[in-house]
Amino acid sequence: MKRKSGILMATLLAGSLLVTACSSSGGSDTGKAAEGGADTGKQPEMKLRILSANVGGKTPDEMKQFEAEIKRLTGIDVTIEKPASDYDQKVLTVLGSGEKYDLIELSDLGKLDQFVGQGAVTDLSDFVKGSSTLSDPKVIPTAEWDQLKDKDGKIHAVFTKFQGGTMPIVRKDWLDKLHLQEPKTLDEYYQVLKAFKEQDPDGNGKNDTYGLSTSGLYDIQGFMSAAGLKYRYVMKDGKRTIPYASDEAIPMYEWFAKLVKEGIMDPNFVTNDTGKMRNLFLTDRVGMVTYWDAWVGMFNNLRKEQDPNTTFQAEAIASAAGPDGNILMRRGDPDFWIVPQNAPHVEAAEKFLEFWNSKDGITLGSLGIKDVDYTESGGQYTLTAEGKEHNMDHGVPFWYNENVKSPFDKLPGVEAAQELVKQHATLELALPGWPDAEKIVQNYALKAMSGEMPAADAVKKMREELKSANLIDE
Amino acid sequence: MRAIRKYGVLYAMMLPVVIYFIIYGYYPLARGLQISFQDYKLMGERPYIGFANYAAVWHDPFFWKALGNTVVIGGGILVFGFVAPLVIALSLNEVMTAWFKKTAQMLLYIPHLLSWVVIGGMWIFLLSPDTGIVNLVLHKVAGIEPIHFLAESTWARWVMILVSTWKDMGYSCILFLAAIVSINPSLYEAARMDGATRWQLVRFVTLPQLKGTMKVIILLNTLGVLRIFDQVFVLRNPSTSSHVDVLMMYTFQKGIMEMQVGVGAAASFFVLVFTLILTLAVRTLTRFDEVE
Repeated sequence: MKRKSGILMATLLAGSLLVTACSSSGGSDTGKAAEGGADTGKQPEMKLRILSANVGGKTPDEMKQFEAEIKRLTGIDVTIEKPASDYDQKVLTVLGSGEKYDLIELSDLGKLDQFVGQGAVTDLSDFVKGSSTLSDPKVIPTAEWDQLKDKDGKIHAVFTKFQGGTMPIVRKDWLDKLHLQEPKTLDEYYQVLKAFKEQDPDGNGKNDTYGLSTSGLYDIQGFMSAAGLKYRYVMKDGKRTIPYASDEAIPMYEWFAKLVKEGIMDPNFVTNDTGKMRNLFLTDRVGMVTYWDAWVGMFNNLRKEQDPNTTFQAEAIASAAGPDGNILMRRGDPDFWIVPQNAPHVEAAEKFLEFWNSKDGITLGSLGIKDVDYTESGGQYTLTAEGKEHNMDHGVPFWYNENVKSPFDKLPGVEAAQELVKQHATLELALPGWPDAEKIVQNYALKAMSGEMPAADAVKKMREELKSANLIDE
Repeated sequence: MRAIRKYGVLYAMMLPVVIYFIIYGYYPLARGLQISFQDYKLMGERPYIGFANYAAVWHDPFFWKALGNTVVIGGGILVFGFVAPLVIALSLNEVMTAWFKKTAQMLLYIPHLLSWVVIGGMWIFLLSPDTGIVNLVLHKVAGIEPIHFLAESTWARWVMILVSTWKDMGYSCILFLAAIVSINPSLYEAARMDGATRWQLVRFVTLPQLKGTMKVIILLNTLGVLRIFDQVFVLRNPSTSSHVDVLMMYTFQKGIMEMQVGVGAAASFFVLVFTLILTLAVRTLTRFDEVE
């Protein structure tokens, strides 16, 4: 009897351990359902479950307010889940496990191709063509849709925002202080970067500034433009080529090696992540980085917030002109929504997609939540302290819709940067096999740029490996 | 049945652990094996394709390159990860001051508790060519020009090996010290009476008595050596990836980044088989089952 009760107690104890080890998602779902049921007694018209990388509130509390605002504006009962990290893995897990979401935010066209190939994404062609909002060229320019079409011309996604491009961003105040002009050719770039290194532009009496910093090959397009070389694949007469692996790239890698040898380029460029690169720029350690158009404004704004009297001025400049005078710049892969094949509320998802590209959706995605991030009175918008902190970015810092004007001016420098993107930036082509090709290109390009290997040898080895792995045709 | 009745309480207490391993260990293993034989798509049909995924991995030159890197880096970690804690344990054993011994053990063990993200970030900073203390000391003491340890392929491998050794030697060191402490003191007395020097005490008393612990540590390290991932993921960069990307990086790349889930699953089973072969070989070579 004693033994039986002992076994029973032990089993109960063991069982309680198991129960407490289980996730609490079941509990919270029950809580949410109870909350919803007790709320107003009104049945929600539509429901949505969204997985988002950038869209939404900055904190869990603000996310709840964001969801409530969507419900107020659309009548849709929305749950937005925004993982703190490992977003790619989360998306893969969600789709692979059959978990049901109505909308998922992505920002990689290569991944979109893979998902389409895996049968995981709904064809939205008919919906987009039939939507008076989305098919309006003033809302989304017709040519832009080509980015989201597959090889059969079907549309599988809808934009979340307008994605800009990357370019060289320079310390304009340092240029002015050293009486330098904005560089246009590669030689002029060299002179400017050398001056940033040697002439103490931050005026602290120490030899602690670099001319240029990057994060690996991210993003040297602004300089490779001088030799007319576009990153990733370029199709030539139906053949796959990678210009960064061509002989024309040799003098470019030698140019970078010279910068590294002379101490003009930050030697940590190989191991830098973009955060470190940004910090170097913000802390007067480097005079030029290569980054997004939106960040021109953010750099200026961040320094201004720290010190209203600062002379810091970041400005975007065009890439180095090529031999034919052409300028190559990188247009970033767009951010977009997909509707998974197993989405249970497709109608609600489509309604949301139209809303997201309308004035109300754009205002929510940019300024944020009314009376939380901003107030509005008689057409006059005022940002709250929280709204200023959020930088008018809740997933939509910029948008396509020409009918929607921002009530605030863009941050300093952004307008000019976006003009450069409009004039010169083009998308990069990533074909299947690009992840393997990129490893080879980056490996040898970085060795050549850091001077570890002669550029000619690096390019030769690059091409040999790419050919033997059948990743290029010539 | 009699044993279950007799030890029922203990079996009941073990139940959560067993269930945990079934759910989080054996079920994923079985499912992974199933996926490795499928043309696995995120949604829709997942037809069985026999050994096609295994063939794809076998014929992929990147897989063999990753295997080569794993052998070099894993082998280095195995050797250094065995010798370093043993030397430190033997050295600490000679220290008489108790507080110093305990403090040293604590300091040695701390890196083992930290995650690779923290350790990796720290070493990236320490090894930086312009502001890192390692290069500053090398330059000051020996006039050596800055070395970009993490950007040069040869150095990067050594960094992986030595940082892994440094991170985990505290754990093995404590196992060795515990074993040393349990050695019968009369053996040392007898050896001293025979005129043994300190080195002879170590060589003829301590080391033979540690054989059992050494076997366990070698086997434990061998089990994990083909599965190294965290330190490579944190410390790698495109410049060194061809020399440091290991088998688990290949599996991660194929399965997660490229969403070739079937191929990734097949690669992971190659790792399983190689680990099994390696473990059996080590058990045989070390005569693991022999009683001393």
